[in-house]
Amino acid sequence: MNIFALLFKQMRQRSLSTALTLLSVMLGVALAVAIMICQREGRAAFGQTDYGYNVLIGPKGSGLQLVMNTVYHIDVSQGNVPFEEYEALARRTGSLPKEFAPADATQPAAAPRSPYPGPVSWVVPYAVGDSYKGFRIVATMPILFGANPDGKPIVVPEGDARAASHIPEYRPGHRYTIAQGQPFAYNKFEAVIGSEVAAATGLKVGDKFQATHGMPKEGETPDIHDEIWTVVGVLDKTFTANDRVLFIPLMSFYSIWEHAEGLDAIADIASNTRPAPKPAATQEEEAKAYTLNPDGTINLKLPKDKWEISAILLKTPPTTQGQAIFVYKNRPDTMAVNPATVMAEFFDDILGSIVEMFRVMAGIVVVVAAVSILVSIYNSVAARNREVAILRALGATKTRILTLVCLEATFIGLMGGIAGLVAGHLAAAAASAYLAQWIGHGIAWWRAGWMELLYLGVVVLVSFAAGLVPAFKAFRTQVAANLVAE
Amino acid sequence: MLAISNLKKAFHHPDGGTVDILDVPAFDVAAGQQLALIGSSGSGKTTLLHVLAGILAADSGTLVYRLPGTGDAGVDFAALSEGQRDRFRGAHIGYVFQTHHLLPAFTALENVLLGMSFSGRKPDKPWAMHLLERVGLQDRLRYRPAKLSVGQQQRVAVARALANRCALLLADEPTGALDTRNAQEVIGLIQSLSTEIGATVLLVTHDLQIAARFARQVRLAEINRVGQEAAV
Repeated sequence: MNIFALLFKQMRQRSLSTALTLLSVMLGVALAVAIMICQREGRAAFGQTDYGYNVLIGPKGSGLQLVMNTVYHIDVSQGNVPFEEYEALARRTGSLPKEFAPADATQPAAAPRSPYPGPVSWVVPYAVGDSYKGFRIVATMPILFGANPDGKPIVVPEGDARAASHIPEYRPGHRYTIAQGQPFAYNKFEAVIGSEVAAATGLKVGDKFQATHGMPKEGETPDIHDEIWTVVGVLDKTFTANDRVLFIPLMSFYSIWEHAEGLDAIADIASNTRPAPKPAATQEEEAKAYTLNPDGTINLKLPKDKWEISAILLKTPPTTQGQAIFVYKNRPDTMAVNPATVMAEFFDDILGSIVEMFRVMAGIVVVVAAVSILVSIYNSVAARNREVAILRALGATKTRILTLVCLEATFIGLMGGIAGLVAGHLAAAAASAYLAQWIGHGIAWWRAGWMELLYLGVVVLVSFAAGLVPAFKAFRTQVAANLVAE
Repeated sequence: MLAISNLKKAFHHPDGGTVDILDVPAFDVAAGQQLALIGSSGSGKTTLLHVLAGILAADSGTLVYRLPGTGDAGVDFAALSEGQRDRFRGAHIGYVFQTHHLLPAFTALENVLLGMSFSGRKPDKPWAMHLLERVGLQDRLRYRPAKLSVGQQQRVAVARALANRCALLLADEPTGALDTRNAQEVIGLIQSLSTEIGATVLLVTHDLQIAARFARQVRLAEINRVGQEAAV
């Protein structure tokens, strides 16, 4: 009978105690490993630097909130910027509808001018504030899907890199593609929905829906807008938060009476004029926000100088990215960030200290697991003095006994550690599934990093060390005294 | 095969007092001999067996084992380190205790296999099964000690003591917990199995009837100067 057979026999003899110790080690290691995976893979998923755009422009406030709201469609928008900030940039890419051209073509100075003079690859506006069945609605322009204002896809001549560079990408080399239907027209009540929205709500091309004002919490009575949008396109999966978004034309967003009213009030505040008290909205007043032409296009009443947007996604050549950020940062009402830089800072500065705290916790977990092993085996050795004495009487040396006890501790540490490693990955898988529901993509929970293996090694080593205490107790067992009387 | 000369052993109490237990000027046991050492309780029988087995170290004197492979001079067991004594015991000495001292988590067969685990030889399962068959437990191989009677437990203990094909079998009141019939059976097994493997037997007992079954009988008081007045 070799030492391992002896070991397993001893462990089987006190299977409950062994199982509980294994469980405590497993839970501790699982917690630490899950933290490690979420930190590492979370950084890989959110700290990515491969966004399709390099400048995000929004109102003055938190850069992180701007990124979270615009890129990941979580958190709340921190305010608006005038539509003309977008208009001035878009004018240079030729993606604006012709109606947006200055009324008097002989006076180009009447058109807004961008404070950023550098080249613009593409630019897209975002206006947020509504939702449908818990999914966010983003108002934007058809150019986001590589379409002209009327919703017709832009045909890029093969090999024309310059023309291709004007089509927005959600990641470098990845443009939005329509799985079913087509992009929307900029001035109709149409919508293009993300793949996950389609799967979760059952909406398909031709279906109609009404938007809910804001994102009502559970139990709140939803304020449902009267306007009805028709789904004209369903996007292919992008594996980003955009899969959970319904995109509508910006103009349809301004057609909603509450939005027009809100923008009106904001404009009054901005111009320092006291807003006059307004009576509750009547159907006639709501009808004032727009009229519909026979072809379904919107005839918007809200003047363009009151249009506002939540954010602007801007792609510039890398060489002028800094200039663009600098320019918009130094304007009184706007700010600009590189989303990749913001996320990297988020992980390094904000999450860094939390991760540090988790690391300390992981260390404490190892100590707790070791103490648990120590107590369990110490008690077992204390109860097994006679068995140790019998083994010694049969010829087992003190070293053999010491090895046996240390092996038991090491084995519990190893098995508990491996089980914890697996459980930690499963916990990370659960976190990933939750995250995917929340923002559209999860984390690579299955990936094992060297830190986890190092941690497992530390757990095994500490378990071995914990085994030394009971092992020395067993080592010192008085053989003769424990063999004599029952 | 065993020669003792001026072997002494005393116990030291924490309060500083010393109690002499053994003082054996000379004692020899020939190879293959089956000997009963007779002594009353507290006369030092168990201590002598512990010293002979190397479980306790002698304070002074020599204890020489002459076994095949140890040369003419033999091995001065008392001069060995604790680890060396442990290994020697595992390889050459079998021990039957007053109570069975079987490991409760192990089956009868596993307990016997355990007896050869520290002998330095390869595990010999057929031999372990043969021993259990010889003690009449061939149908109890997978039984744990708790499922065996006291007599069966002691028979497993005898099989375990002989599992390493020992040269010397030490038995410390092996029938102390048994009824007369079981006691006679166990003694018979010790004698016949030891003869089968050529082991020398040194059994200590206070029971003169048991001692009478052995070819050589020695009263401990005859060889131990300590407590001679307490001799039976």
